[in-house]
Amino acid sequence: MGSYNKIIHLSNVLYNDGLEKANVRDLSGAAESLRKSLRYNKANIPARNLLGLIYYEMGEVVDALSEWVISRSLSTDDNPAEQYLDAIQSNRSRLSSVNQTIKKYNQALVYCQQGSRDLAIIQLKKVLSMNSGFVKGRQLLALLYMEEKKYEHARKELRLAAKIDSNNLTTLRYLREVEQHVQKESSSGKSGHRKKEQTASFQSGNETIIQPTNFKDTSPIMTILNLIIGVGIGVLITCFLIIPNVRQSAVSDARKAELDANNELTTRTQEVNGLNQQIKDLKKQIKEMESESDDTQKTIDNYEQLIAAYDAFAQENVQGAGDTIANVDPNLLGIQSRTIYQNLSTQVNEQYIAAVYEQAEQDYNTQNFPAAITGLTKVVESEEDYEDGYAIYYLAQSCRQTGDVENAKKYYQRMIELHPGTQRARSSQQYLDELNQQP
Amino acid sequence: MINFEEELKKFKPSLEVEEAEDAIYDRDLTDMTDIMKEIIKEAKQR
Repeated sequence: MGSYNKIIHLSNVLYNDGLEKANVRDLSGAAESLRKSLRYNKANIPARNLLGLIYYEMGEVVDALSEWVISRSLSTDDNPAEQYLDAIQSNRSRLSSVNQTIKKYNQALVYCQQGSRDLAIIQLKKVLSMNSGFVKGRQLLALLYMEEKKYEHARKELRLAAKIDSNNLTTLRYLREVEQHVQKESSSGKSGHRKKEQTASFQSGNETIIQPTNFKDTSPIMTILNLIIGVGIGVLITCFLIIPNVRQSAVSDARKAELDANNELTTRTQEVNGLNQQIKDLKKQIKEMESESDDTQKTIDNYEQLIAAYDAFAQENVQGAGDTIANVDPNLLGIQSRTIYQNLSTQVNEQYIAAVYEQAEQDYNTQNFPAAITGLTKVVESEEDYEDGYAIYYLAQSCRQTGDVENAKKYYQRMIELHPGTQRARSSQQYLDELNQQP
Repeated sequence: MINFEEELKKFKPSLEVEEAEDAIYDRDLTDMTDIMKEIIKEAKQR
């Protein structure tokens, strides 16, 4: 037998062991065997489904759901896990009830840790009324009863837990402890009773005479005295036993009411959280839709700009076409429109730059330096060495004339670098030196 | 003799339905067959 087959065989053996234990209600033993089986072969679908059923029987519904979900993801062919999950998920109220049970159990655990044992007992009773097979809940309730010295109650819970999972170590351990205490209580009760009986009977010759232990001589004074003592005892019983009991009952009712209010508050808080989440989601959707709407408007504007540029170019208004096409973003265009844009842009750009340069040169010659700077800057940004460097030279001169020393220096420097040895380069160097000497 | 405080520590909170999804994702499902495949793969690479 190959190693792989051995592993599969071992997994199956453990599954069979788990199945046998489950048949005799040793659920914790069965769960252990099945977990081992799955460690050998995670795809052992019958083992995983049975483990889910065992968890479900022990009241661990979420663990059961987890096993069945994994089982369904591993195999979808005639997998009973599908039916189990459908049965649970189709019954929304049952699922919600299960979740409430788990929340209440966790809350009971918190009460225990805070030392509020009475609240924990009330909470656990509710849990078990909703999910009677919840072994862990019964064990915790039994533990609380043991701590409260209510061993009979604890024994009842543990026996119910043992009916579901017969060989659970925790249940058996608690049960043993409880039985010891119950036995002690019953034996001390019997011996006390016997002593009382011995004092009540005695022998006189051949006859046995039984006399009440509280036999007293009943003279009239004693009767009145007994009456007074009886009334006194009655008053004391009322003060020390009945009134505290009534008070205790009122406190217990108040605590119950508080617990119900807390539960109601928790449920409402969950609902509010759910609604807040819905509001957040809806706000997010609105934002996304607004953003989409903005993008659509941008795209429409972009196409309109392209059409306007095309129209201006068709009417030979190169300046207008160039100004408009500069506003078009090619990234927002479709493939065909982008090709049109590129063709138009190439054609317009050449003519546009020539027209702008012509106007800028005219402005420079008429000493309208700010307008010249605007035009020449466009030209130089498009082609730095336009008209054999005259564009950048005029731009440097215009900047110097308007007092923009920084830009003038920058453009003179580029002029010197682009056309060394020319008259314009020498003039540029001269102006640059002058500007550098200025404070 | 059972110690209440010590026993109480053994009780852990149960998973809620909302936490089930995370619990499934976080589960380590590695089994012996996976380990064996890994060993064979490493042996082949040598």
